[in-house]
Amino acid sequence: MSDITTERAADAAVAGGDAAVTHVRRSLWGRLYHGETAIDFYGRRKWGLTISAVLIVVTVLSLFTRGLNLGIDFEGGVAWEVPAGQVTEDEVRTILDDNGIESGGAKVQTLTSDSGTRLRVQVGDQTPAVVQQVQADFAEAAGVDVSEVSSTSVSSSWGRSITEKAIRALVIFLVLVALFISWRFEWRMALSAIIAMLHDVLISVGVYSLFGFEVTPATVVAFLTILGFSLYDTIVVFDKVNENTERYAGARAPYADTMNVSMNQVLMRSLNTSLAAVLPVLSLLVIGSGVMGAVALREFALALLVGLVTGSYSSIFIAAPILTMFKEAEPRFKTMRGQHATGMELERLVLGGSPEGHRREVARARRQAAATGAEGEVLISAATTPEAVLTHPPRPRKKKRR
Amino acid sequence: MRRKLIITLTVILTVAFGGLLATLIAGNRPALGLDLQGGISVTQQPVGEFDPATLDLAVERIRDRVDSLGVAEPEIIRQGDAIVVNLPGVKNQQEAIDLVQVTGQVYLRPVQGCSGEGVQTTDSSVPSGAGTTGTTTGGSTAGTTDTTAAPGPSRRVSSTPTTDAATDTTAAPDTTSASDSSVAATDTTIAAVPIDAPITTTPVVSDPTTQQLLPLRGGGQCLVGPAGGTGEVFENNASAQIIDGGWGITVGLRNGADGEDIWNALARECFNGTDTCPSRRLAIELDGEIISAPSVNVPEFNTDVQITGDFSEDEARDLANVLKSGSLGVSMETVSVQNVSPTLGKDSLRAAVISGIIGVALVLLLLVFYYRTLGLVVVAGISVSAALLYSIISLLSRTQGLALSLAGVAGIIVSVGVTVDSYVVFFERLKDEVRSGRTLRNSAQRGFAGAWRTILIADIVSLIGAFTLWWLTVGSVRNFAFFLGLSTLIDLVVSYFFTRPAVLLLARTDWMARRGVMGIKPAVTGTTGTTGTTGATAAAAGSAS
Repeated sequence: MSDITTERAADAAVAGGDAAVTHVRRSLWGRLYHGETAIDFYGRRKWGLTISAVLIVVTVLSLFTRGLNLGIDFEGGVAWEVPAGQVTEDEVRTILDDNGIESGGAKVQTLTSDSGTRLRVQVGDQTPAVVQQVQADFAEAAGVDVSEVSSTSVSSSWGRSITEKAIRALVIFLVLVALFISWRFEWRMALSAIIAMLHDVLISVGVYSLFGFEVTPATVVAFLTILGFSLYDTIVVFDKVNENTERYAGARAPYADTMNVSMNQVLMRSLNTSLAAVLPVLSLLVIGSGVMGAVALREFALALLVGLVTGSYSSIFIAAPILTMFKEAEPRFKTMRGQHATGMELERLVLGGSPEGHRREVARARRQAAATGAEGEVLISAATTPEAVLTHPPRPRKKKRR
Repeated sequence: MRRKLIITLTVILTVAFGGLLATLIAGNRPALGLDLQGGISVTQQPVGEFDPATLDLAVERIRDRVDSLGVAEPEIIRQGDAIVVNLPGVKNQQEAIDLVQVTGQVYLRPVQGCSGEGVQTTDSSVPSGAGTTGTTTGGSTAGTTDTTAAPGPSRRVSSTPTTDAATDTTAAPDTTSASDSSVAATDTTIAAVPIDAPITTTPVVSDPTTQQLLPLRGGGQCLVGPAGGTGEVFENNASAQIIDGGWGITVGLRNGADGEDIWNALARECFNGTDTCPSRRLAIELDGEIISAPSVNVPEFNTDVQITGDFSEDEARDLANVLKSGSLGVSMETVSVQNVSPTLGKDSLRAAVISGIIGVALVLLLLVFYYRTLGLVVVAGISVSAALLYSIISLLSRTQGLALSLAGVAGIIVSVGVTVDSYVVFFERLKDEVRSGRTLRNSAQRGFAGAWRTILIADIVSLIGAFTLWWLTVGSVRNFAFFLGLSTLIDLVVSYFFTRPAVLLLARTDWMARRGVMGIKPAVTGTTGTTGTTGATAAAAGSAS
């Protein structure tokens, strides 16, 4: 961010002599608040792409080396939860052995909440009779009523079938969404949005794999939310891009300009929305599961938190650059690649001017430069102040195309 | 325009808060899912090939059984091929499994004796002289021994229909022998279990290998012997039809050793009233309940079996369905049993609610801080959304048996983000419009038009997602998808019918025009002066000089 300020400072210093410039210096916060940021997102696309590439490599490595810790809902098995007042882990294992269950393969966890400590014991598929017997034994060992010990059993075929259903639903969902976006916007946007979404889900899965969190149906719900939110966020950004594309259609502006202007225009909205989405989840995580100890909420909230953050991040730093790269491969934008506005020019564009202002500026400056025989960098005067912009209708009248 | 806006605003406020008030007065509350309340969840799936109708039947059977036990707010859901039964508050796991264990297996068991039949139906006998088939009761303990009933208004008069042989087209029911054969049935009670024992309401687990006392549909109970055959002796073609002026069932028999031979062996025993079947009646049992126990009127059947009696149309169809599903030999398998301890549930609920409220409060604080006056619109809008959501969930809990689970609560909390986004998108656009020098009134209108387009597209994508997931998945994912979809829909409604009129009206007031939006003074129509006619830059220029 400090780059931008220096750029601006330099620009302002150069343009300082021009009497028409009536710039008010605002702090970064002030500019954010007033929607006057001029960040060259496209120019910095390599940052975002690199960070994401690193995260994805880490995820893939982790998936191959550590894999995912699938819960009993996916692999089948039985889990008991015992109030851990008097019963120790060793006793639990002894009880398992007594009932003919190999205790070496059992997972025993201690869960702490404000209603006391509980032991969670998880083993593979068992017959209902064994489940009952073990439950009774645990209750006896812990000195509580049988109903205090909860048990959960899932057959592995059921786990497989729900996973298959979820995956099928996901594929159909993606196809529908891709079709919808292609119809409403264009296929390049659909592709970019889905790439960004896969990126988010992959990174969220990576967090689960890296930290060895157990994947439960709640996790699947969380991943689906991430996917939905990521798409939602990207669509909002793309809608702005789409609107600006129409607006700039006659101006032969580089696509990166359209993108940069759109990004800056939606930046505050993205920040606000992300904050609004993250706060309740953070509250669920910190207050719900941290302070109040609802363990059931923890993994869910955690997956959501990671997903929401990456979701907001990816719509600006992944989806948009990828879309720009797609678009710049198009013949009509190809020739203008690398000519996008930065610094002051970009700021002028963001502040509502039409792209023509910028282009006229460049042309005039070039002419001047040619006339005066100036060399090297072309300096563009800041004659098109925001006021000048205001003397024109804020938006060129669109021709009704439909 | 202005009037229209005020009307819209009034209507939505009335609907939202009127609905909430009505919900509170009616005492409707969202039903809590298992994970929030504690209890047992059992999931069953059919094994192998099955008929979708079988599943419906199984759901019905489970509902009957669960209702008879008096579990509060049970949830019985068909999710694809699976049947999920959620029993909140039930603690005994084995009891729960027994309760919902419907196998779908139909057994044919010889009846040794019955008691208490037809008790509740005595008042409904409408004897009419019309000489239809002489269907008679086998249960002599029943109060109703009238032989016939009018097919029209007939409810069940006697709960024991008669089996006739329909040998192709020639078979006319032998009415006299039927009435003779089924009179002296019930004195031969082989009372390993006393058949006049108190009628139990708890479901009985069927054990086809021994003698059992099973409840009879429509009241009463019968002592039945070990099963002599299963529903698989029948073809899958049972149909309810009018036979001799009354509703009855026709069903085909499978050929050979697996069908006819088994059936005829049983039928012969019963027709002759041997020790295994002294009552001459053959019970058709499904999951521990005798659906029908007709007397056997002929010793030998070929190809078709007819069951006639005083069935109502529905009863006949039910029986036909039972035979149909029984003929497939489907059995249900319990694939998942989850026991959620109520303490865990209560903790989770409290934590979810409290942290949810705190989270939403933080979001609202942020928005009020950021958008100032407009932030208050968000607060009001969220209240309207919350009121609508609460009313709808309560209503659906009451009528559709919808239960709010942890995944659902989380779905709602997540949707807070999406809901708030609608406001943010709108206000940011409003800000852009104001900055480019429009009046607040104009900006609000243009801002909404633009924002609505965005909100609509983004919400439609969310809805596509929610609907696909709801349609194709099971369990908590489905529950989540439902609540996500519901809150997205509410978001659309509230955006259009509350936020739009509220902001547009607010933008028309002088008070708001003077305050400006987020530090940017909008253009004031009719104001001219040295400070400039328009917008942010004018103000900015002023402060710079």
